[in-house]
Amino acid sequence: MKTARSNGHSDTSGIVMTDNALTLFQLCDSQFPTGSFSHSFGMETYIQNDIVVDPETFSDWLKVYLHEQLVYADGLAAKIVYAALDEEDFDRVWEMDRLLTVQNLARESRDGTQRMGKRMLDAVDSIYDIPIISLYMERLRNKESFGHPAIVFTMLGHHLGVDRKTTVVYYLYSTIVALVQNAVRAIPIGQTAGQKVIHQFQGELKEAGDEIMKLDDYEFGVVSPGLEVSQMQHEHVGIRIFSS
Amino acid sequence: MSDWTGVLELDVENRGGRTVADNIYFQGAFKVMRPVYLNGYSHPCYYLLNPGGGYLDGDTYRMKVTLAEDSRLTLTTQSSTKVYKTPVSYAYQETEFHLEKGSYLEYLPDPLIAYKDAKYVQKNVVHMERGSTLLYSDIVTPGWSPEGKEFSYDTLRLKNEIYMDDELVVFDHIKLQPARQNMGGLGFMEGYTHLGSFMVIGEQTDDDLLDSLYEIVDGMEGDFEFGISRLTIPGFTIRILADKTQLIESIVSACHLAVSEKWHQVEPSFLRKY
Repeated sequence: MKTARSNGHSDTSGIVMTDNALTLFQLCDSQFPTGSFSHSFGMETYIQNDIVVDPETFSDWLKVYLHEQLVYADGLAAKIVYAALDEEDFDRVWEMDRLLTVQNLARESRDGTQRMGKRMLDAVDSIYDIPIISLYMERLRNKESFGHPAIVFTMLGHHLGVDRKTTVVYYLYSTIVALVQNAVRAIPIGQTAGQKVIHQFQGELKEAGDEIMKLDDYEFGVVSPGLEVSQMQHEHVGIRIFSS
Repeated sequence: MSDWTGVLELDVENRGGRTVADNIYFQGAFKVMRPVYLNGYSHPCYYLLNPGGGYLDGDTYRMKVTLAEDSRLTLTTQSSTKVYKTPVSYAYQETEFHLEKGSYLEYLPDPLIAYKDAKYVQKNVVHMERGSTLLYSDIVTPGWSPEGKEFSYDTLRLKNEIYMDDELVVFDHIKLQPARQNMGGLGFMEGYTHLGSFMVIGEQTDDDLLDSLYEIVDGMEGDFEFGISRLTIPGFTIRILADKTQLIESIVSACHLAVSEKWHQVEPSFLRKY
């Protein structure tokens, strides 16, 4: 069970790039086959309503999505799951899988995330031989768990011995990069403008990582009403290129 | 935690087709009025009486309501719940519902009004058995402030946990903190001031119902935004952003009516016999 835990760094010492972190980085590539290209998590509703129209307004949306939804849901869950894996408290891991799913009240975002979790599990399982990943897949087959990319990602980060905060921040980064790629196609904005947004978000990601490390578990699942309404409204958006 | 500001316990059961209270207990600032059997309903409607002075700093309220098998209950408040300035701590209310098989609960309290510098935490936990039905609404509104600011309360935190046969099926957590969040901005309140939620869990939920509710709300007059979506179990949530309590109330009422009409046709009940 305990393999390749060679690089344990402390949470608080900032982010250090290690070989294992580089290995984890493969999952941050928007080409990694999770199907993230088909989900906008409500951004498309804002595009259709002419609220997200250019790199600036896209950044505004992305900041709110990162700091007000990802931090409290996926980010905090990743932190909690990492600690649970440390303690081999697997019940807590499966509890977070359920919480992440049932706190997502917008059906398309919830179902889309679940599909991405399943696809990420399949891809990770075909590259690595990790017992907890196999167990997670088995639970999905038996309908005991739902599947969530934040949990799969954290399992791999933990397995590789990448420290907790780095794992959490890389996961957020992977989500941001995928959304930028989607914005490039959907708004559309130029590839360079998209890369500028990713560059600007380094500070935002650091801030989000710091915030998550400070958050109490009690804060889990806070959602901003506007984001949630936009994710629900997406079910009725006319011409759509995303399924959430 | 024996020092609650107000405690209310209510247990109801079905006696020969009519729901009656089996146990009513209240203490402190929480009171409940004699039940009203509205429109000759076979099930009672209880009105909760909020403390006249509103919720104050450090106040704690606890309510526990149990519906025995096949009983039906409507629970509402006599007026809005007002939360005033809480300079030291916060006001807290927790509610626990137990819905046994075949029971039907409508919990439709009046709006919560949070005044200047108010901090309020509310936690609802609902334990349902398969085959029970829940209709729950919630409206939060900012109270008047001396400076005329739109959002002068400090923090509102509303948590709902719903369990079906002991398994968590809904987790809903709203936290509004105007000093920290850009309330009027994108993603938060989208320029609106009032937030309404209507959550329904019932086995008869289907796509037709959601489609008709969408049509009803979408066709309503007034300036508001809304979303409706299915849960992982048969049921749905509607969220409404608006500037007027009355508008949210009329949307919730219209949906409540549509759900009742549709479901009572499918399952004839005493409601239609009187």
